[in-house]
Amino acid sequence: MGAVISMQGVAKRFGARLALDSVTFEVPEGCFHGLVGPGAAGKSVLVRIAAGLIVPERGSVSVLGVDIGGLGQVELQRVRSKIGMLFQGNALFDYMTVGENVAFPLRRLTNMNEDEIRENVEERLARVGLGGFSERDPASLSGGQKKRVGIARATIVRQPLIIYDDPTAGLDPVTASRIFEILREEQETTGATVLAISSDVDSLVKYADRIAIMDRGVMHYHGPLRDAYDAADPFVGGFLRGEWRSA
Amino acid sequence: MSRLLSIALAPIRGVGRKFSDVSFQTGGIVLLALAIARRFFPPKIDMRELKRHLYAMGNRSVLVVAFSSFFVGVTMVVQATILVQELGAYSLVGWGAAYIVLRELGPIFVALMFSGRVGANNTADLATMVITEQVDGLRALSIDPISYLIVPRVIAMVIMCFILTIMGNTVAMVGAAIMADLMLNIDMYVFWKGVHDLTKLSDMWLGLEKSVVFGLIIAMSSSFYGLNVTGGAPGVGKAVNASVVTSAVGIFMSDYILTFIIG
Repeated sequence: MGAVISMQGVAKRFGARLALDSVTFEVPEGCFHGLVGPGAAGKSVLVRIAAGLIVPERGSVSVLGVDIGGLGQVELQRVRSKIGMLFQGNALFDYMTVGENVAFPLRRLTNMNEDEIRENVEERLARVGLGGFSERDPASLSGGQKKRVGIARATIVRQPLIIYDDPTAGLDPVTASRIFEILREEQETTGATVLAISSDVDSLVKYADRIAIMDRGVMHYHGPLRDAYDAADPFVGGFLRGEWRSA
Repeated sequence: MSRLLSIALAPIRGVGRKFSDVSFQTGGIVLLALAIARRFFPPKIDMRELKRHLYAMGNRSVLVVAFSSFFVGVTMVVQATILVQELGAYSLVGWGAAYIVLRELGPIFVALMFSGRVGANNTADLATMVITEQVDGLRALSIDPISYLIVPRVIAMVIMCFILTIMGNTVAMVGAAIMADLMLNIDMYVFWKGVHDLTKLSDMWLGLEKSVVFGLIIAMSSSFYGLNVTGGAPGVGKAVNASVVTSAVGIFMSDYILTFIIG
């Protein structure tokens, strides 16, 4: 099982703030990998580097077997086309209907005709529990429904790597749990590799195979979930058991 | 002593900071212009987006431009009334109106309205897309935001500013003709004969060339501030404000330069 994402000594600074400090991290192929940590830990920066949206200052980043450091825009776009991504704020295009949002990657990245696109969009929306929502305006949806549309869009092309940036942010526990169920079902069906950030540790650990734990730009642990509770670093067990308190 | 020195140097520091800001913004707009120009070799224009923006920008501006331009023409004749009556230069009213509207007032006025209406909306739209991660969403879908978002908007703004200037000029002239008839009893035939006999084609072309440059300035400025928004939702308002002010300054500066060079 090779690594779909591999980072070695990655560092990133925004002005005086060190967002990532020599992070080394791997996501093996076919797994559901969680990434947790308190606020401002650097989780979103890390996944954006993995998606080629932010360029690190130091270190090497390999995604789907391609070293993305120093790639030109065209080559980078080629790698990105193999990654599905859900953003924290969903990033739904507000001038498009729900159906058009979900169809957008298919129109851009594939040669499907309109009938095939429509069929795929309906199937995807039904899969996330939003059958019949195709003509709705994203602004008319609830937070949970918007997340589901985002998930449908992130997974419709069936890329080998899907990144979810806090897919349950701002959702109630019941909806959050249902969202994770959908993500896990989706991952098991397609066999894609998933990297999911979440601030909802309790929900995420129920579904993840592996976990990475960060704080203030430092990677404290990454590996199988079952071993995390016994990790040598006291922060890891403390954070997972909810005993960690913000300084 | 050092406190006094610090107070004394404060204005110089302020000027330096302002100069640095202006340099950064000018440099940013130039870099954006180069990035857009690169997308034309070979041309990568999203026709679906272009049509959408042409419709939205034109539709949004037609009424407001027509309404305002009418009053530009009307006001011009009202202002000229006393002078025309004193000099008895009734046959020159049509030419005077055409000269000022086509060369100067029409393009400037339409550009300022267009900037306030379409440019401001473009900045707000792009800034909202940036802060709600929609632009990152495009990049994550391996779509180039400059090609998809900016190029169609720039083309649409240049085309629409040009078309609206033609329309605005026409409406302003109609307004001037009506007012000349009502206030100075100048027959429509005399008014339009003055326009026809004394107005040169170059007067019209100068104004239309200006409108293309103004459209480009509004497009570049509004797109730059939209894409470079910072500070979340409050930043959107600041970006819109900066975009409208920069566009207005750019319009007046380029008007002077163009009038000086080709006018």
